[in-house]
Amino acid sequence: MKITQIAGFLGCGKTTLVLRLSRLLADGGRRKVALVVNEIGEIPVDGKIIEESGMQVKDIGGGCICCEVAATFAKTIYRLYKDFSPDHVIVEPTGVAVPHQVKLAARMGGRDAKMALGPAIVLFDATRPAELLDMDMLGQLVTTQVKDADVIAISKVDAVTEKEAEDSAARVREINSKADLLHLSSFTGLGVEELVEIVAGWEG
Amino acid sequence: MQEYKGSDTGCYTEHGVSGYGVAAKLSRSDLMDDTFLKSMAEKMMVSIAEKCVDLGAKCIGHIKSHLKTPAGTLKADTIGVAHGSYSKGHLTEPVRELFIAINSIVQGIPEDAVKAATLEGLHEVADEFSITVEKEKEHTYFDEFDFVASKKDYIKQLQEQLDQDPDALSGEDE
Repeated sequence: MKITQIAGFLGCGKTTLVLRLSRLLADGGRRKVALVVNEIGEIPVDGKIIEESGMQVKDIGGGCICCEVAATFAKTIYRLYKDFSPDHVIVEPTGVAVPHQVKLAARMGGRDAKMALGPAIVLFDATRPAELLDMDMLGQLVTTQVKDADVIAISKVDAVTEKEAEDSAARVREINSKADLLHLSSFTGLGVEELVEIVAGWEG
Repeated sequence: MQEYKGSDTGCYTEHGVSGYGVAAKLSRSDLMDDTFLKSMAEKMMVSIAEKCVDLGAKCIGHIKSHLKTPAGTLKADTIGVAHGSYSKGHLTEPVRELFIAINSIVQGIPEDAVKAATLEGLHEVADEFSITVEKEKEHTYFDEFDFVASKKDYIKQLQEQLDQDPDALSGEDE
């Protein structure tokens, strides 16, 4: 069971990517894929939307899985392993979660399970780089998310010019030069196949 | 399995992020098709975002909504006034009733302010479209998903939640 998180700040396109990536990763039923979706605000809108697409979803509300409800998340991972034994678990944390803390919670849940951590894929919204990085408190959070990424996807590139996408890529490169970086449009599908290959082949 | 406790307060509070969610039952005497409802929901999302900004929000994380009707589901969201709003979904036929769930996540204002903006936006825009907010309940949606269970009847489930709650507010009293 490989646990992969699709992280990134609120509104960056995580849910849309999770939908497309999960379907492709399932590969027509050849792989068992389960989803874990987390939202603060206690209204799991994203989970409902994903479930209505026909995917199997475990939703965690009532707080952030990297801190407040980390114990619930850990138990959920363990239950998934025991009851469903998926090949892949795709986790969509809340947009304010810190990826390395999500990994920590997942490790706790997978302590007694045959589990491997997949990549932390962090989406960075190309339509509002300054809004995200240049504000005092928020910039610190987004910077931490980018620093924690194994893979950075510059998202919504269909909605910006090529230069704007490159500018966003340059900004996140300054924060994290080690992560794989790609351009993503969940709307057109650009980059999604590449992410599926990364997730499927990730060795850690 | 080893217990992992986590923390009492969310990491996001350190970054000034607050969230508020509410579910409501809406109705209108005239039929509403998907074009009408998408227009209403998009306007509602932007209205809530505008009110959050007016109250001092520095950044709109997202304002999301999920509209469940007997004829299908619609969704609408925004990540900020300047970004506009976006909706999708399709109804097989016009409806007179629907359930809406709204999730507002905002940076720079406390939860009480997010709540005020969300409820004001909900009621103002509903009123503008001659839609009645019959019932509302905060921090409410449906039960936790069970990934091995059969698909739930959302409408019945939410109706029961709203009916069982003695504190559910009447929109007409707002």
